[in-house]
Amino acid sequence: MDILTLMAAFLIIVGGIAALISKSAFNKLIMLGVLTAGAVMLFVKDGFLDAAIAVSLLMPVGTLFILFLLGKKKEVKHD
Amino acid sequence: MLEQLPYIAAATVICLVLFVVIDIIWKLPKKGGVSGAEAIANDIEASGGSKHGGYMIGNIITSPDASAGTLLAACGFFIYGVIGAVAAAVLVFIGARICADKGFAGLTGALAATAVIWACTTFLGFAPETFIAGIVLAILIVEGLSLKLSSKIIGKLWGKRT
Amino acid sequence: MIVEAICALAAVYAVIRIIFEKSTLKKLAYLNVLGFAVAGAIVLLLPHPITIGAAVAYFVGATLESNAIASTLAIGGEE
Repeated sequence: MDILTLMAAFLIIVGGIAALISKSAFNKLIMLGVLTAGAVMLFVKDGFLDAAIAVSLLMPVGTLFILFLLGKKKEVKHD
Repeated sequence: MLEQLPYIAAATVICLVLFVVIDIIWKLPKKGGVSGAEAIANDIEASGGSKHGGYMIGNIITSPDASAGTLLAACGFFIYGVIGAVAAAVLVFIGARICADKGFAGLTGALAATAVIWACTTFLGFAPETFIAGIVLAILIVEGLSLKLSSKIIGKLWGKRT
Repeated sequence: MIVEAICALAAVYAVIRIIFEKSTLKKLAYLNVLGFAVAGAIVLLLPHPITIGAAVAYFVGATLESNAIASTLAIGGEE
């Protein structure tokens, strides 16, 4: 077993569990970033470089949409 | 395997000095580039750190700076020699523009790191992958151990320059 | 071998610091350390010329995600 494969598995498992049990929405987003790091490492390990590039460029786009929705919710709550 | 350890320690010191000097030359500790960097600086100052050191750490977090240039130049040099390092420098420049950063710290850092890594591997016998471990350890020293202490040290260096 | 071990240990240390840190803005600093370690590990996994593009794409994506989260926290305040 390669040590970098173990590192990717650790990132995915710990990131997923911590995203499940954390309370704040921002902490959930940060933990999803940790999970995506492990997923990109597994893509690169098997040689799917195009999928790795696509996932790493689309990850911040999804984060931007979720942050936009969070801002909307906060505005509604303040009104 | 273990005989690479002194080379990795030397590469850590080289990378640390390189990116801190280039960031201070490009005046990163002066002010936050985007609003997120100022928020990080205020948070670090509220927990007992220095404000200018907080600005530099915030700028490193929110846009690719000389530290990112050093890492990606080391990666490019490990794969494809000088050509790969220069290609990584061009990609870092494009990435800095994507992150709304108007400076040239990333490009300068990548090109300077290319020159330093080329000199060290050609004349001093370093293996190229020692610089990847060196820059990871250097950023771990600056941002991973204690943000309060490292921001105070950077603020002191910035005060000495002005 | 020892270079891979250093990248893996740095990533594990960064994840543990992310989980046990209270302030959301300080978590972003440790997320940046994790990004450095993962970008180094991607290059060590598969030495191929396109891997440079994958490493740069992952790093810029992680930085853009941190930028978006920090900007949203700066505007809206931590809730």
